[in-house]
Parts: sequence; structure tokens; C-alpha cells
Amino acid sequence: MYEERFDKRGFDELRPMEAETGIIPNAKGSARFRIGNTEAIAAVYGPEEVKPKHFEKVDKGIIMCKYDMLPFSVPDRAKPGMDRRDMEISDVITNALNRAIILEEFPRSMITIRVYVTQADAGTRCASLTAASMACADAGLPMRDLVAAVAAGKIGDSICLDLTKEEEDFHEGGATDVPIAFLPSKNEIVLLQLDGKVTKEELKKIVEMGKVGANKIYELEKSVLKGRFLNESKS
Amino acid sequence: MTLENYEYIRDLAAKQIRLSGRSPGQRRPIEIKNKVINHSDGSARVKIGKTDVIAGVKVLPGEPFKDRPNEGGLIVNFEASELASKYASDRITYSVEVGRVTDRGIRESNIIDLSNLIIEPAKKAGFVYIDIVAVNNDGNLMDAANIAAISALLDAKFKIENMEDYKEVPLDKTKLPISHTFVKIGDTIFFDPDADEENVADCRLTIAVGEKINSIQKGGSGFFTPEEVDFCADAAFKLREEVNEMLMKQIKS
Repeated sequence: MYEERFDKRGFDELRPMEAETGIIPNAKGSARFRIGNTEAIAAVYGPEEVKPKHFEKVDKGIIMCKYDMLPFSVPDRAKPGMDRRDMEISDVITNALNRAIILEEFPRSMITIRVYVTQADAGTRCASLTAASMACADAGLPMRDLVAAVAAGKIGDSICLDLTKEEEDFHEGGATDVPIAFLPSKNEIVLLQLDGKVTKEELKKIVEMGKVGANKIYELEKSVLKGRFLNESKS
Repeated sequence: MTLENYEYIRDLAAKQIRLSGRSPGQRRPIEIKNKVINHSDGSARVKIGKTDVIAGVKVLPGEPFKDRPNEGGLIVNFEASELASKYASDRITYSVEVGRVTDRGIRESNIIDLSNLIIEPAKKAGFVYIDIVAVNNDGNLMDAANIAAISALLDAKFKIENMEDYKEVPLDKTKLPISHTFVKIGDTIFFDPDADEENVADCRLTIAVGEKINSIQKGGSGFFTPEEVDFCADAAFKLREEVNEMLMKQIKS
């Protein structure tokens, strides 16, 4: 049983969040997103010529996105460079952004996105995706909607939002982790993964809770970006 | 990527019709053959329609992970050569994903009792290696890899470190995590897609179901609504029995 969360949060409560844009001057757009002790920074470059050439598409642009856990982001030490996990996460993040960004507007070109996890305490792929989507908006890319991503899940018998590493490793009742990303205004799920053990009914509840969390993140994203573009019009 | 019949398949899909004549929720015939590789401890060759994969299981001694001193290990690897595709230039870009999703389904269902593989705590334990190779890709490598892996596990008998007798991999056969893959083309959802359907699809959803849902993976650039996720989960529970029965038959024979 898991009746009270380790950090005393409510079951549907997110960890404290922080976000800002324009943190990397050389990039076309950039953002930092922090939720609890998980933090990701993202930078967007392009649109530019596609390299290598054979990836080029004649009817739309492509996204090259790389997710990387920095060596000092975890308690032991992550090996520098991409491992199999990083490759898979890069793929699922790219898939989500492919839907969010209106790629038809720049055929034969490439957008490069780099996401670094500077600190990891579970939910890194969600924080990365949120940061990447804010960086894309900061770069002024045409988008269907912002992406808001959060991990929901089940610990013991309780459905929880925004799991920490400590909760993920909670073994007695077995923890289930469900990273989920929405285009909130359209009610579209653009990223969904699960590992653990849940029934159909529980899955439904988890997806619902994920949506509640995603909407809260969405509000933060919007307010930060509004602030950024208001400042720009003043100066 | 070269695509035959791109518009045609999408137009038909809008009317719930598949080029193969199957109904949206109908799978292709599955063929499972065991003991196909001499040098492995257990093996299986699985065909789903024209999709063809081989899985080999080997159990080898190794040192337990530092944070799990009382357990053996499970390592799943998937490999697909581009020769397996219908179009030679069509690289299979999701090999890593197939391997990792197959791994997650088996690991999270806890069907392998890893603590049973320990020989000497923190020093030596059995490691279960599952290597899966696609020989021919006609879509749905996810499910083919998953079924081949489970069948090979069921088939496996190993002997390591002065063991007197051959031993089976310690498996809970009552809750085998069986994978089900759906694709979405426009607003239509098809089960068990072939390669052409996969190529024109907007996105893919793979759900492994044992006693409960053990893993989910969304692939591709499109989106699912929460209702569609529900629909697929529902369908997966209903479809599970068929494959489970096939695997159970294998145990008895």
C-alpha cells in the first residue's frame, strides 16, 4: 500500500515547476524546464539545408532531435554519448514533435533539436519534450499546439501524477510508469509509453490524470511564452 | 522510401477495407516452429503472414548487477538487416525500439523468476540472453519478435556451471505478456499491420498484455485520442487468447 507520498504531495499534484526561454543565445530558440529535481534544457536550430542529403523530403521538413543524459545528471555517472535508451527516447520525442510542428511549411529543410538532461529525478523524457516544445515556440516555428508531457503511473494501488525516482523504484507494490504527452487544446496523445502492470480501467484513469497534469504544464508554458513575446514587442 | 499504392491503401482504409481482404481486427495466420537452432538453449521461428523472425535463447553465467546481488539477468537484443525489407533502400530504423519494447514486456510481467537463476549471491548467476533477428519484414515486427522471444523461452533447457541436469528457464506460464500492434490510418485502426499498411500509417500502438497490461509503446508521428487508446487496450485483451492458446499447446507437446 502507498497511502502518503514520500514528498507529502497530493496524488494528483505536480512537483514545483520552473520554465524560461532564450537561455542559449546562439540557438534560434531555447528553453529550460524544471520539475522538482528533474531539469532539461533544449535548443533549436534551423530550418536549414538537410544533411545527410538522403533524409530530405520533398513535401515537408524533417526534425533531427537528440536527447542526451549528461554524465553528471545521475547519482553514479552516465557514460557520455548516446546509448540505446537515449536513441529510443530521441525517437519518441521526435515522433511527438513531428505532430506538433507544421512541417509542411518548410519542405526540403531540417530542424535540429538538442535536448540535454542536466539533472535526472524521473520523468526526464517528459521534461525534455516539454522543454523542446517551448524552445520550438521560442524559435517562432509554426506549431499546431504546444506539447505538454508528464509521467503518470501507479504505485501500490494508488494512481499518481509526476513520479519521482524514489517512487519509480518502489518495489513492494510494483510501480508502473506511464510517460504521456498531449497537444492539450486538441486532446491528442502524441507520446505514450507504459511499463509495469495495470488493468484496462486503471490505464483509463492514468491517462485522465496525465491529462490533468498536462493541462497544468500547458498553462505554465503559455504564460512563460506570453511573457517572452510581450517583452520582445516592447523593446 | 518507395511506396506502392500509397493513396489507394489510405482511401480503402477510410472505408475500413484492407488490401489483403482482412477485416480491421483480423490477424494473419501465425506459424511457430521450435528447436530450429542447434547451438541455442531454446529457439523459435515465428511467421506472421510473410513476416519471419528467429529468436534464440542462451543462458550463460555472469556476475549479478551490483544493485541486484540476488538476481540473474535478462538481456533482449533485436536485429533487422535492411535486406529484410521489401524495398532495399528502406532501412528499418526502429530496431532499437523493437528490442527495448520486447524487453520491457517480458521484464515488467515478471514471468522470469530471476532470483531462481542465482548460483552464488553477488558472484555468479545465470543470464538469459534473447537474440531476435528479422529474416523477412512484412510488417508487425513488434508482435513477431515478442511471440518468438516467449516461444523460445518456453522451449529453453539450459545447463551451466556443473549443473547435473538440464533445467528449464524459471517461467510463470500463466501470464505470458503477448504483444498486440495496431496502426492508425486516417481515423481507421487496423490490427496486425503488414508492411504497406505500416508505411502509409500515421502512427502505431503496441500493447503487451499478460495478466494485466505490461507495456505500451506509441510509435510514428500521428496521434491517438484517449478513446482510441481505450479501444486498442480493449481489443488487445480480447485478441490475447488466440496466441496464448498456441503457446500453451507448445508446452504440452
